Amino acid sequence: MSTIVIGLSLSFLLFLLAAGLTLIFGMLGVINFAHGALYMLGAYICYQIVQWTGSFWIGLALAPLVVAGLGAAMERLALKPVYDRDHVYQLLLTFGFILVIEEAVRLVWGLDYKQVPTPDLFSQPVALFGSQIPSYRLFIIVFGAVVSALLFLVIDKSRYGMVIRATSSDSDMAETLGINVSRVRTFVFALGSGLAALGGVVAAPLVPIELGMGFSVIIDCFVVVIIGGLGSIRGAIFAALLLGMARALGFTYAAEWVDLITFSLLIVTLLTRPAGLFSRKGRAA
Amino acid sequence: MDRRHFIRNAAIAALSTNLPATAAYAAEPADFHIAGILAFSGAYGIIGKDMRQGVELAIADRGGKVLGKPIRVSWEDDETKPQPAVQKATRLLAGGAQMIFGAVGSASTLALQSLADQRKVPLLVTISADDKITRVNGSRYTFRTSNTLGMEIRMSLEFAKVRGLKKIYGVAADYQATRDGWTMFQTEAEKLGIAIVGIDFAPLGNRDFSVIVDKMAKSDADGIAVFVTGNDAVTFLKQSGQVGLGRTKVQFGPVLQDETLAAAVGPAAVGVYSGVRYHFSYDSPANKTFVAAYRAKYGEFPSSFAGEAYDGISWWLDVVEATKSWDRERWVDAFAASTRENSLEGRKTMRACDHQAAQVGLWGVVTEGQAPLPPLTMKITNVFEPANLFDTCS
Repeated sequence: MSTIVIGLSLSFLLFLLAAGLTLIFGMLGVINFAHGALYMLGAYICYQIVQWTGSFWIGLALAPLVVAGLGAAMERLALKPVYDRDHVYQLLLTFGFILVIEEAVRLVWGLDYKQVPTPDLFSQPVALFGSQIPSYRLFIIVFGAVVSALLFLVIDKSRYGMVIRATSSDSDMAETLGINVSRVRTFVFALGSGLAALGGVVAAPLVPIELGMGFSVIIDCFVVVIIGGLGSIRGAIFAALLLGMARALGFTYAAEWVDLITFSLLIVTLLTRPAGLFSRKGRAA
Repeated sequence: MDRRHFIRNAAIAALSTNLPATAAYAAEPADFHIAGILAFSGAYGIIGKDMRQGVELAIADRGGKVLGKPIRVSWEDDETKPQPAVQKATRLLAGGAQMIFGAVGSASTLALQSLADQRKVPLLVTISADDKITRVNGSRYTFRTSNTLGMEIRMSLEFAKVRGLKKIYGVAADYQATRDGWTMFQTEAEKLGIAIVGIDFAPLGNRDFSVIVDKMAKSDADGIAVFVTGNDAVTFLKQSGQVGLGRTKVQFGPVLQDETLAAAVGPAAVGVYSGVRYHFSYDSPANKTFVAAYRAKYGEFPSSFAGEAYDGISWWLDVVEATKSWDRERWVDAFAASTRENSLEGRKTMRACDHQAAQVGLWGVVTEGQAPLPPLTMKITNVFEPANLFDTCS
């Protein structure tokens, strides 16, 4: 039972990491290679806020907003001019973002490790199903579930979500109907960037904060997004649960097989459902 | 020019361009040029910076000269990857570098070792720990003045014995060198009557140890042997700290903690035992002098990387000076037979059989440091003698 609890925490952490990536691709058709760098930036900004204020919660609230603002600027200044060009330009551009963000982080925070302590509220483990479960893991499960529900409601059920989907489906028609497509795209990219940073903040008490952390996480993000289906929030939730549980069970019975299990799931999905389990049509424009 | 003069001049020219290589080595260059191949970016970026500071202080200590010539170091970043390490070292050797200093990661160092052997250029290693770097009848041109992984694993074993641990649960990086190290540890531990109640091999770069930590917490082990380092060590200890694993079980490992890693872990690092390659608190006259100079120059305590780099390059340059020669082969022969009585860690003896420095092994525990020490600082608890850490070889 404790394995299931840990598996759920892994799943929701994976979802938080991948949600922004799938959102940006689904709505804008942009594969954002800089997602890992934005995740890293979120963790570093959270660290800095904790240094200034002593509060993880202020970091949790502010760091995603700061990165979302940066995301909006990136979209406006750099991505917007290349929407109508071949997708390879967007790939190269987002790859360039990685280099710039990495270098900026190195200049501001240096090369040494940074650490964000576990918030006091969740510093003690909880006895559950015969195990000592870190209470911070329980927080991740609840927080991740809330974020995923909110995202699902916003994208699939709200009026604004309908506008986003309409823009994604046929931007010319949406523009004809009076929707400010440019603003919608900026909002979506900012939201996706903010979600990447949110993943970084939530992961910060669990892992060392260092320059390479974005690279290590981007592979997991792509695995979740590919299995779930590019652009599908529902798919990302399902894929994250599948992978999280597979990893938890893998670590329980054969830790050295974990990566093999993970990538086998990816290969099986690509062979049987190449577009992912919950694929949706990408931007046509 | 008549035919006889032409043949004579051609013969002189041919002879002058085909002098024996040793004579060419022995010619005095304008300076003593070191190819410094370290990681200044990538996973080990922070290590390179500290090593460079150690080397620069060692050079400053001797007035910036050896054999009467200025010492020039060309620093290059291998990005913690073997290919850039070899490319950059090759370029510097073509430019006349007389030796290579580096690298940080063992993969880069092993790649440089092949280059050093091909080019017959000395390679000085002061941090990479893979046992393959120094082996009997191995590379003539490679020398290591710092620890090997093997001696650090033996220290872990000695610690388990001294501490009286009865049951150990292990976690190791799923990496050949670490697996070999674990096999050695398990074999020797079982000979001592220590039971291994569990072992998990986690992928290198693993970001979640929570399931493994849960298994460890549920086990009846009194010791947790952690055979991971760097980011993985930080991740493991942060996550084991969230369930208070260290409160009921002793966590230890061959290269698990130093001040840099402890700072990344935070309070959960307190009470964790680890091998220490060098430590600023080691009680020797040379170390006291070095630490004072380092703090004066850089405003911080030297890390193990800085200390090992300073110690290694100082020893090497002293040996080069003593040869009074620019012949690289003589440097190699002299260093292979050298002993340094006044190293930062006391006596170090270069073993001619494998070019590995036999030395004491330091073992410590993370404690809360009082100013001016770092907030989390290693306290040396054991100093293991070389006889307990190195096999005899001839």
